[in-house]
Amino acid sequence: MNFMQPITDTVLQVHDLHTHFLTETAVVKAVNGVSFSLKPGERVAIVGESGSGKSAMAMSLIRLLAYPGKIVSGEVIVGGRDITKLSEAELNGVRGSEVGTIFQDPMSSLDPVMRVSEQMIPPIMRNLGLPRKEARDIAVGWLDRVGIPDAAGRIDAYPFEMSGGMRQRVMIAMALSCNPRLIIADEPTTALDVTIQAQIVELLKNLTAETGAAMLFITHDLGLVARFAHKVGVMYAGKIVEFGSAADVFAHPRHPYTQSLLRTIPNAAGAERERLLQIPGFPPDMRNPPVGCSFRERCAAAQDRCAVSTPELTFRGVDHSAACFLPNGLNDAPAPPKPVKRAIRLSNEADLVPQQDILEMHNLRKHFPGKATFPWSKPKTVRAVNGVNLRMRKGETLGIVGESGCGKSTLARLLLGLDEPTTGEIFIAGIAQMVFQDPYSSFNPKMTIFNIIEEPLIVTGAGTRPERAEKVRALIKQVGLEESYLDRYPNQLSGGQRQRVGVARALALNPSVVVADEPTSALDVSVRAQIINLLCDLKDDLGISFIFISHDLLTVRYISDRIAVMYLGEVVEYGPAEDVFLKPAHPYTRALIDAIPTPDPAIEAQRSINIISGELPSPLNIPTGCAFASRCFKVTDRCREEKPVLVAHSQKRDAACHFPL
Amino acid sequence: MLTYSFNRLLQLVVTTLGVVTLVFFTLRLIPGDAASAMAGETLSGEALDRLRDQMGLNKPILIQYFEYLRNLVSLNFGDTITTGLSIGDLLLTAIPITLAIAVATIVLTIIISIPLGTLAAYLAHKGHKTLDNLITGTAMLVDLMPSFWTALVFLLLFSLTLGLFPASGTVSLDEPVAFLHRIALPVLVLSVTQIATMARITRTAVLEVLSEDYIRTARSMGWSELRVLFRHALKNAALPIVTVVGLSFGSLLNGTIIVEFIFTIPGLGSLLVNGINSRDYQLVQTLIVFYALFFVSVNFFTDLVYKRLDPRVQF
Repeated sequence: MNFMQPITDTVLQVHDLHTHFLTETAVVKAVNGVSFSLKPGERVAIVGESGSGKSAMAMSLIRLLAYPGKIVSGEVIVGGRDITKLSEAELNGVRGSEVGTIFQDPMSSLDPVMRVSEQMIPPIMRNLGLPRKEARDIAVGWLDRVGIPDAAGRIDAYPFEMSGGMRQRVMIAMALSCNPRLIIADEPTTALDVTIQAQIVELLKNLTAETGAAMLFITHDLGLVARFAHKVGVMYAGKIVEFGSAADVFAHPRHPYTQSLLRTIPNAAGAERERLLQIPGFPPDMRNPPVGCSFRERCAAAQDRCAVSTPELTFRGVDHSAACFLPNGLNDAPAPPKPVKRAIRLSNEADLVPQQDILEMHNLRKHFPGKATFPWSKPKTVRAVNGVNLRMRKGETLGIVGESGCGKSTLARLLLGLDEPTTGEIFIAGIAQMVFQDPYSSFNPKMTIFNIIEEPLIVTGAGTRPERAEKVRALIKQVGLEESYLDRYPNQLSGGQRQRVGVARALALNPSVVVADEPTSALDVSVRAQIINLLCDLKDDLGISFIFISHDLLTVRYISDRIAVMYLGEVVEYGPAEDVFLKPAHPYTRALIDAIPTPDPAIEAQRSINIISGELPSPLNIPTGCAFASRCFKVTDRCREEKPVLVAHSQKRDAACHFPL
Repeated sequence: MLTYSFNRLLQLVVTTLGVVTLVFFTLRLIPGDAASAMAGETLSGEALDRLRDQMGLNKPILIQYFEYLRNLVSLNFGDTITTGLSIGDLLLTAIPITLAIAVATIVLTIIISIPLGTLAAYLAHKGHKTLDNLITGTAMLVDLMPSFWTALVFLLLFSLTLGLFPASGTVSLDEPVAFLHRIALPVLVLSVTQIATMARITRTAVLEVLSEDYIRTARSMGWSELRVLFRHALKNAALPIVTVVGLSFGSLLNGTIIVEFIFTIPGLGSLLVNGINSRDYQLVQTLIVFYALFFVSVNFFTDLVYKRLDPRVQF
C-alpha cells in the first residue's frame, strides 16, 4: 500500500454529463445528464441496449469522442481535475497514466504495422519516466501477468500473429501498464468467444482486485454484469434510470425498464419455460428526445405525469436509486403485466415417431484444402466438419452449440446444399431453408420487402403472380408485421423487423426444416426476445423443425428439444436440452456451461466456475487422440492416444469421452 | 524478407524479358523494316537486299531475336540507323538527365504533398471543413491541368516574363548549379500535377486510417495528436500512398517526354521523340526497353518498401 498518496474515496466523479453529436442535419443528444461516482477497487457496469448512449458516455469520460461528438456540459472529475476543462496537453497526461482504456474489438484496436513492444514500451517510458530497458521489463511482466505464454518472446510479435483472445490480453496489459487508478472497458468481451470471454472476465476481476484500480465496464450482457460487477447502472435514452449494487438491482429491480429487461432473457434457474417478455415499441429518437420520462411510451405503468415531468434518480434504499415516480415500478401499475402463460411446448417422446425422421446425416465431412507451405509439399486440410451423425424428428428443435471455428456454420451450409460434403450423406424429407445471422447484410437493399419475400417463390416458379402476392401477405402476417411493411425497403426497418422478414423469407417455400444460424446475435436483448418467441410460435403452429445454431447456451437451452455440442468439427455430446444443461457428460459441455454467465448475481456468486484454459486448436492440426485433450481438466494419456467415439452415455444421451462426468 | 526479395527479383526478370520480346516482335509487325527506313527511297531493290543482309534482317526471325537478346545482355545496343552514333553513348548522356528530373520531381512531390494531404485529412477528421475544402479543391483544380499547358504557362511566366529560369541552353551535369537551375522549371511543371494527385491520395488514405480503432487506442495511451498523426496514422496510410507513388512514376515518365521536348532538354524523352520522327527502329526499340526497365524496377522497389512497411504482406 502506498501511504504517500492522499486518501480520496472517489476515483471518478461524473456530474450531470451531457454529450451531443452535432451532425449537419440534427443534434443527436446521446448522453443527457449522467451522474455517478466510482470508489477505488470498485467494478461498476453500465448496461444498456444499442443507442442508449453508454459508449458515448464512456468515451466522454476521457474525451475520446469522434467528431462530431462533443461534451456540452457537465463535469468529469478524475484525480481532482475536471477532464472536460483540461487542455489537450494536460489531457494527454491523464490518458494512459491515470485512466486506462480497453476497447471492444481486439482485432482492430492494436496498430497492425507495429510490434506489440513498439506499442507498449514507449507509453511506459513516457508515463513512468523509465529507460527503455526497464520499461521493456515492465511490459514483459504485464504480458506475463495477463496470461501470454512466452511473454519475453511474444512482445516482439505483430498483432496479426496473435488470436483475438491474445490480442485482447495485450490490450488489457497495455491499458494497465502505467498503473492507472481507473480503467474504462468498453464492451471488452463482446467480440470474443464465450470461453475466451470467461477467461478475460476472470482476468479483469483478478487484476482489479490486485491493483486496486476501479473499473467502469460497459456492456449489453446482463449475465456479465451479474458475474462481474459490484454495482450496475442501467442506461436508457442517454440517462441512467437505475443505479445500485448488482445484487440489489437484479433481486429487486425498481425501474420498469430494468424490470422488463430482466424478463426478456431466458430464466437461468428453472426448467419451466415461461414465455419471454417483449418490450413493446422502440427506444426514442435521440434527435428529439421526448419531454418527460423517455420510457413512458413502452411502459405499462405510465401515468399522465410521466409525460409532463421527468423523474430524477431517487434513493430506494442503501446504494440503490431509480428514476421512476412509482416506488416499485411496474409492480405498482394498476394492472401489472402478467407473464403470458403460454409455456413453450416441448416435443415429448410420444409425439415423435421414430419413423418420422425428417433429417438424417451420416458420417458427414467437409474438408477444405489449405495452402501448402511450398509448392511441392502436400497442402494441409482444414477439417471443418469431421464425421457428424445426427438425426432429427419432425417437429423437433435441435440446438447446435460450440465455439466459433467448431464447424457449426459449415454444417448449416452443408444442410442447405450451399456446400457439397466431402463425404457422407444428408437426407431431408422436404426442403431446408435458412435464417441468417445478420439481418442488415443478408438482404438486397434495393429490393422492397415484398420482393424479398417473393423471391424464393419466383425462383421456384411457384404459382401465378396473384397467388404469390397472396402468399407473401400471409407470410408477413405470420411473422407479426403489418402488410404496409411490404412496400418498404430494408433500411426503413429496425433490426428486429428485418429479422422477422428473414424468417418470412425462409418460410416462403413451406420448408420442413429451418436452419437458423445465430439468428439473434446481431440483435439487442429486448428484440432478441421477440424473435425467440416468434420461432417458438412457428414451431408450435406449423410443426416446422428448427435447427438453432448459437453460442448463446441459455437461448439454445430455452428453445431446443435436443442439443448437440460440437468441438472441432465433431459432435461430442448429444441429448435432451435440459439433461445436457443440468448434467453435462462431456467436460467440454461442462466448460461451455461454466463459461456462460447467468443473469443472476446470487447464482453467479455460488457457482464453482471451472474456466476452460487455452484456445481452440487449429483445425489444421487436429490432435490424434481426443480433440479436446489439450484443454480438458480430466485428461489422461489414454485421451491423447485413443480417440473417443460418440456412444450412448445414458438412455437418451450420447457422449464422446473416455471418462464422462 | 530475403526470399521475398528473391521472388520479386525473379518476377522482375521475367517481366522484362516479356517486354523485350513484345517490343521486338511488335516492331517487326509494322510494315516496312529498318533497312527501308534507313534507305528511304534512294536504294534499288537489290541494294536494299544487300543492306538487309548487312543488318542481319534476312536471317530467320528467331535467330534475329536471340541475337538481339544476346546484344542486350552484353549491353551492346548497336548504332542509330540514321546518324550512326553509338546508342550506348547516347543513353549514357541522356539517362542521368532524365533520371535527375524524375528523382527531383518525386522528392519535391513527397516533401510537399504528404504533409499537405495529412494536414487536410486531419482538418477533415476534426470537422474543419472550410480549410480542408480549400486544400482539396485547389488540388483538384491543379490536377485537372494538362502538363503541356502548365509547361507553357510556366515558361511564359517564370522564364520569359520574370526571367527567373532559363528556357533553353546547354544542359550539362559537369556544372551542377547551372544544371539544377536549368532543370528547375521542368521539375516544377511536373511536380505541380504530381503534388496535387499525391496530396489527394494522402488525404483519403490518412482520413480513412484516422477513424480506425487503433488510432483511438494510441490517443487513449496519452500520445499527442502530432505523434498519433505521424507515427500511427501516416505509417498505416503509407501503404496506399507508396502504391500510388510507384504507379505515378509511369505518368511521370510520360511527363518527362513532354517537358523535355518543350524545354529542349536532351534527355531520354527528347531522344525518343527524335527517334520516332526519324523512324529510327534501333533507337526506339532500345528506348522502349529502357523505359519498361525503369517502370518494372520502380515497381520492384515499391514492393520491397511495401513489405518493409507492412509485415502482413505475403508474396
